Amino acid sequence: METVIEIRGLTKTYGTVRALDGLTLSIPRGGVYGILGPNGAGKSTLFRTLLGLIRPTAGEATVMGGRIGDPAATRRMGAMIETPRFPPFMTARQVLVWLSYAHGGVPTAEIEAWLKRVGLAEAADRRVRGFSVGMLQRLGVAAALMTRPDLVILDEPTSGMDPPGIQEMRALIRSLADDDGVTVILASHQLQEVQRVCDRVAIFNKGKVITEGRVSDLTASGERLRLSVTPLARALGVLGDRATLDGDALIAAVPRAEAAATIRALVEAGVDIEEARWIGADLEDVFMSETGWTGVQGAPVKGTDHAG
Amino acid sequence: MLVDALKSEAYRVSRNRTAVFCSVLLTPLLFIIGGVAFHIITKTKGDALAAKASLPAEMGNQPVNLADALGFTATYGANGVLLAFMLLAAATVYAGDYRWETWRLISARNGRPWLILGKIGVMKALAMIAMLAMLIAAFVFFISQAVVTGRPMAFDLTDFDLGRFLLLWLLSLIRIVQYGLIALLAAVVSRSLLAALFVPWALGFAQSILGGPLTPVIGWAPTDWAAQLLLPGLAYDTLKAAVSPGPMPMPEGAVMKAITSLTLWCVVPVAASIAWFQRQDLSKE
Repeated sequence: METVIEIRGLTKTYGTVRALDGLTLSIPRGGVYGILGPNGAGKSTLFRTLLGLIRPTAGEATVMGGRIGDPAATRRMGAMIETPRFPPFMTARQVLVWLSYAHGGVPTAEIEAWLKRVGLAEAADRRVRGFSVGMLQRLGVAAALMTRPDLVILDEPTSGMDPPGIQEMRALIRSLADDDGVTVILASHQLQEVQRVCDRVAIFNKGKVITEGRVSDLTASGERLRLSVTPLARALGVLGDRATLDGDALIAAVPRAEAAATIRALVEAGVDIEEARWIGADLEDVFMSETGWTGVQGAPVKGTDHAG
Repeated sequence: MLVDALKSEAYRVSRNRTAVFCSVLLTPLLFIIGGVAFHIITKTKGDALAAKASLPAEMGNQPVNLADALGFTATYGANGVLLAFMLLAAATVYAGDYRWETWRLISARNGRPWLILGKIGVMKALAMIAMLAMLIAAFVFFISQAVVTGRPMAFDLTDFDLGRFLLLWLLSLIRIVQYGLIALLAAVVSRSLLAALFVPWALGFAQSILGGPLTPVIGWAPTDWAAQLLLPGLAYDTLKAAVSPGPMPMPEGAVMKAITSLTLWCVVPVAASIAWFQRQDLSKE
């Protein structure tokens, strides 16, 4: 598997805080790679380290074949880290012209095309000091992409955007990977968005990768049985801690091999089963189980329906 | 790489009207306004005095030599007012990327030393433009003198010494740039626009306090190593005096000490800023 980023034992400490804790990760070329993790998991620290903005305390990494901080390698990257900010006295168009000079020159037609593509053509001559967060995000994405990089890092690109904007951004990200062959690394707290747009994900917690793989593989491993039954209390008594409530149904963490025996045990206990079907875990379930985050106490566990 | 840094920084500064106005236009404008007012007042007072003393009219008809604007600008271009306003631009150029959190947009794709050198290059260009604007203001000053007083104008280069003019012009430029380099170091170390503004101002204030008592009545700045090294303003005055020698002989070795001082005050802030910036984490600009 050809990789664009190789990270070995990367550590970054701020005083006593370990923002990255011996992180090891390989990111393959092509497709959209998601980085997930709760706040403070180390996502932005990793991005800043890969871009050479901060120096690692230990470990090493290569980006596009070059060591981190090597301008020859980072010139092939585009990035938007956190909510982008720009000199407030500049207009959106001027920001892109300024950055095009900084990045070795981008044709004017290309700048205009990107303003249009991110939906800022009409606001191109407005000063950015009056921009909403969503507009700043759009401008940040244009700035990251206008040099036609081989690798793009987008940190929360849809933050502050309205639903149509989110949809446009999702389509743009997919098209970058599918049509232009760009490798996109995406960090987002919107797990459904990540699930829809990413091919692979890594879940971070406390500066470490705790799980990594194809989205389809990760969600398949969390397959569970959804049972509409009465009475619920009796069914819960049979299933014990393997079941959780999901509205007026039960979600049972039961392997396929044990499904028949489980249903038989429920019937023998006098439980009426109206419906039984398999559901796959969504990324949110995987995320919560991997990070140990339980969410709001008593909140139902969500699932994504699929044939089974 | 340096070209990219220069072009992008120059473009950004050119869009910052406040910085451009304060650094390049404000001092010359103040100079012109003050100059015209000065000529009107002196003309009024002078007419009254001439009438009282019954002086012959031709005494007030000496031509105003516009070429004096050249020497005037070269000698007084790096005046305190210009330095103070240039610092506004210097603080914006050197600390702007910390204030606006824009280092993350430009530093990944270029070498950090180039980015610092690009900013210094742009400040040098701004200093040069400010000096040219001062030159234009000086011409306006002398023209307004001729207009207000009714004296004829002339452009007489008989006493003009090109070599001295260029040296004084260069010294004034160095003085402006050197002051800005203190702002650079303060910006990189503190990541603060206010520090970039006030540290050089504080240094200038300290120099004006210390420089006076240290300067003997005879006119020479103290030429011992400590004074020259600690106070770049004294070194600058020494070199200016060396370029335009007066009746008093210059103490031996004074020029070398002054050159050493100004060189150190230029090189050390640049080297320290680049070294510091190279190791700086831009986790939050």
